[in-house]
Amino acid sequence: MDATAEQKYNLDVVRWFAVMAVVYLVVGASVGVYIASELAWPVLNFDSPYLSFGRLRPLHTNAVIFAFGGCTLMATAFYSVQRTCGVRLWSDKMAWFTFWGWNLVIVLAVITLPLGLTQSKEYAELEWPIDILIAVVWLSYLFNFVMTIANRKSSHIYVSNWFFLSMMIMITYLHVVNSLAIPVSLFKSYSIFSGVQDAMIQWWWGHNAVGFYLTAGFLGIMYYFVPKQANRPVYSYRLSVVHFWALSFGYVWLGAHHLQYTALPDWTGSLGAAISLAMIIPSWGGALNGIMTLSGAWDKLRTDYVLRFMIMSLAFYAMSTFEGPVMSIKTVNALSHYTDWTVGHVHSGALGWVAMVGIGALYHLITRCFHTEMYSVKLINLHFWAATIGAVIYVVAMWVSGIMQGLMWRAYDDYGTLAYTFAESVEAMHPYYAMRAVGGGIFLFGAAIMLYNVIMTVRQSMAEGCVEQARTASLATATA
Amino acid sequence: MTTNDWVGVILTVVVFLLILVAYVYALYPKNRDKLEAQRFIPLDDDQFDDGEKHGG
Repeated sequence: MDATAEQKYNLDVVRWFAVMAVVYLVVGASVGVYIASELAWPVLNFDSPYLSFGRLRPLHTNAVIFAFGGCTLMATAFYSVQRTCGVRLWSDKMAWFTFWGWNLVIVLAVITLPLGLTQSKEYAELEWPIDILIAVVWLSYLFNFVMTIANRKSSHIYVSNWFFLSMMIMITYLHVVNSLAIPVSLFKSYSIFSGVQDAMIQWWWGHNAVGFYLTAGFLGIMYYFVPKQANRPVYSYRLSVVHFWALSFGYVWLGAHHLQYTALPDWTGSLGAAISLAMIIPSWGGALNGIMTLSGAWDKLRTDYVLRFMIMSLAFYAMSTFEGPVMSIKTVNALSHYTDWTVGHVHSGALGWVAMVGIGALYHLITRCFHTEMYSVKLINLHFWAATIGAVIYVVAMWVSGIMQGLMWRAYDDYGTLAYTFAESVEAMHPYYAMRAVGGGIFLFGAAIMLYNVIMTVRQSMAEGCVEQARTASLATATA
Repeated sequence: MTTNDWVGVILTVVVFLLILVAYVYALYPKNRDKLEAQRFIPLDDDQFDDGEKHGG
């Protein structure tokens, strides 16, 4: 029990964010499995527009990225900034505003997206009033974080805080610019950009949502929680500094690689691809830095299941950050673009890297914030294997499906006629779509186990009065 | 080139040079001990309980 931390830091808001993150992981993954099943068995649409893939897909992406990912980032950033700076959050009230505001955004997304209210911009679907709310809540998160750092007791700002800060600043900038729109009614607006400029701005946002929100932010998690869970310092601090600056400088250039072979000037796509390839170096440096933190203590992986999540996530991070640049090369992109290969790539990053490092950090946080051990270590192990096997099945299915799709679309006979109709390619995908749904289902099973384990841990903590004891013990110490 | 292009080029080159400065600073052998000492911050976070300023 860490009574000092309980009294000194605001762990209440961290607890709420952490638990909600687990709830949203199950919700987001459930919607994902459902829409994956719709693609394999279209009868599941039930002829209802509210259940159609087009409306539920943004609900899935918003739930996993902004609900699960957002709550995870907020829990971990608020926790680690307090611990590494040695001070309480600058404002408790503002932290609660961030919590309730962010959850309100999520509720509004759940209502509006199935109703078909959307700006039709990928990962930025929500209509303008919600966009304004997101900006206000996000700024409260950023401001509280910055002011906590400003009040710190350490002279040095630990590298995890640099990554979190980079994410917060860039997402503010990206979200505001990409969401600039002219409202015509409460639920309808038009982007101020048009044509290819709109596409460029959209993918400048889209790729940096991946680069900063899902990479820089989660690297912040990695740099604090891997050393903490392993009880070993990060392998090389200098490498972490180089990793940070290379990533912050390089990522903003990559968006154009999403628009190869479009109306965008050819050189912009080439530039995006060239910088993408250069990004392999810092990305692998960062992954090795995290993995090598265990150098000399690999035996910990035998018994520490939480650490397994984190190290497995780094393996997926290394794989995804190699695959992405390769896919951005024009010759590869000619085959891969618009196919399921992209979906497989995204999910190797999302399930393998983002979710796994987030899950590892959440398990760590929950034991520290509820001042008790996890209800069942065996269930963490079961979750680890379900998440790993589920992610691998999903990704492999999409790789095979995507490459087959690309090859079928480009195949032609001796007369220059397309060898396959589009419908034939769709039919050929069916087994892989079913396999994807199964892989996602296994991942979801793991997430449900985590939710059960977390609920039982919270109940255990409440029954034993662990949080209350930590508060009382710290008060007694303070009085003495 | 338009003014916009020049501003973009100059900013890009300046930022690139700043990145080079950051790399040289991080990898300069004399800064090694100073930077590597910060590795222990997450492990020593209880050090802050005495209310004093710490670190380099």
